[in-house]
Amino acid sequence: MTSARTPSVRTPSVRTRFDAAITGIGLVTAAGGSTAATWERLLAAEGTLCGPVPDLAPIPADLGCAVTGFDPVAAVGRRKAWRLDRSSQLALAAAAEALADAGLDPAGWQGARVGVVLGSGIGGAGTWERQHRVLLDQGPEKVSSLLIPMLAINMSAGYIAMEYGAQGPNFVTSTACASGTTAVGAARELLRSGACDVVITGGTEACLVPSIISGFSQMGALSRRRDEPARSSRPFDVDRDGFVPAEGAAVLVLERADDARARGARVHAHVSGYGASADAHNATAPDPDGRGAELAVRAALLDAGIAPDAVDHVNAHGTSTPLNDVAEARLIRRVLGARPAVTSVKGVLGHALGAAGAIEAAVTALSLEHQVIPPTANLDSPDPQIDVDLVRKAPRTGRVDVALSNSFGFGGQNAALVLTRA
Amino acid sequence: MTVYDRLADLLARSFGLQRDEIEPDYTFAELELDSLALVELTLAAQDEFSVALSEDDLGAESTIAQAAKVIEAKVVEATAAA
Repeated sequence: MTSARTPSVRTPSVRTRFDAAITGIGLVTAAGGSTAATWERLLAAEGTLCGPVPDLAPIPADLGCAVTGFDPVAAVGRRKAWRLDRSSQLALAAAAEALADAGLDPAGWQGARVGVVLGSGIGGAGTWERQHRVLLDQGPEKVSSLLIPMLAINMSAGYIAMEYGAQGPNFVTSTACASGTTAVGAARELLRSGACDVVITGGTEACLVPSIISGFSQMGALSRRRDEPARSSRPFDVDRDGFVPAEGAAVLVLERADDARARGARVHAHVSGYGASADAHNATAPDPDGRGAELAVRAALLDAGIAPDAVDHVNAHGTSTPLNDVAEARLIRRVLGARPAVTSVKGVLGHALGAAGAIEAAVTALSLEHQVIPPTANLDSPDPQIDVDLVRKAPRTGRVDVALSNSFGFGGQNAALVLTRA
Repeated sequence: MTVYDRLADLLARSFGLQRDEIEPDYTFAELELDSLALVELTLAAQDEFSVALSEDDLGAESTIAQAAKVIEAKVVEATAAA
């Protein structure tokens, strides 16, 4: 006899671990226009690479980690530079480095199998602000016809497709400060599903402009340590007073690990797990114990099939805000125990918002590749409420097989990646 | 400075072209200026020459020399009216 009510049998979903190989990395950050420059400045960790941004005066928090010395014409060519927002220029520069690093020749690839997934929080803020001024001062007939393609947040991914003939799925993820991490996670899914053979992923942000930074400043989210800019971003330090906004871009080239091996590609590291969640708590404040973020971390570990006590290293969200760093440290301690070595690159690079997660995924991959964890800059006196193994003062060398990269966005949007040694 | 020279300078200054790749008999299309670039050029040329221009005045298939003539005629007209 069959019962009308079928008992629910919960079978744990068992699937084999899926490794996406990171075969190319490109970074444009406040440390410079290359991966090598960024890695070098992170290992040195001499202080926050920021200063007062002239355009931001008189905002009380006018510090920013700008990408200085960036030449758009050199990066994207004079025919394109004038018609691209800075956020797209930075993304294209990072993409060029990443594809060269991957040793892939776009002229030879099957474009329909190549996807582009970038993360971005704000979009073409500088363009919007300038054109809004034109609208107010000169009227609608003087507004640039390029406003939309420069402002729209999806365009950076679109321009990468145009540049390299990448005709596969193409989109931008926007989960505030988790955008770049969400993008890498979504990119990996495109490989796992078979939709793509190569995905160009990462994140970009360029919004050190008065309206946006005024907004963050008014929230009380930003450091006001303008008398000591180099000491302003100090994740996990007892004297931290907010984050320092940054601009930048990171691009990672992902391929299925088998494909990368078959073509003899050099692999920096694998993306082996991804998890996402929502705090469902508050627009901007994190859940004080990181309970929502914990769901993302646990989901990423489950996806990777890796036990929490096997994590060697956490590249933390570590924003240098009073609330984030304590909540995140509690979460790390609760879920992963005392074992992992924890660092935040934001002490050096500031917080590149929608690009931050991608920058940090790239840096985590470099830690796995080189077996070195960069120290957290400005971590002079760890907050006594924080009880995790913080890497400070000097890089830490030692075996790193499994690493976690966390990102938590306003809106309570959380994303976590598990990366493993290739 | 002629209107042509000023127009060529404007293209070089703001539209990613080099002065020596601009010739009088090249069309805007040949210089790879697409429709949005021509809208932008029309806006910039209005400011540069202080005359009203429509998008038809600087069409994709008009040469730089032809465009300069159209602008020149409008400049003369505007001067005469003043």
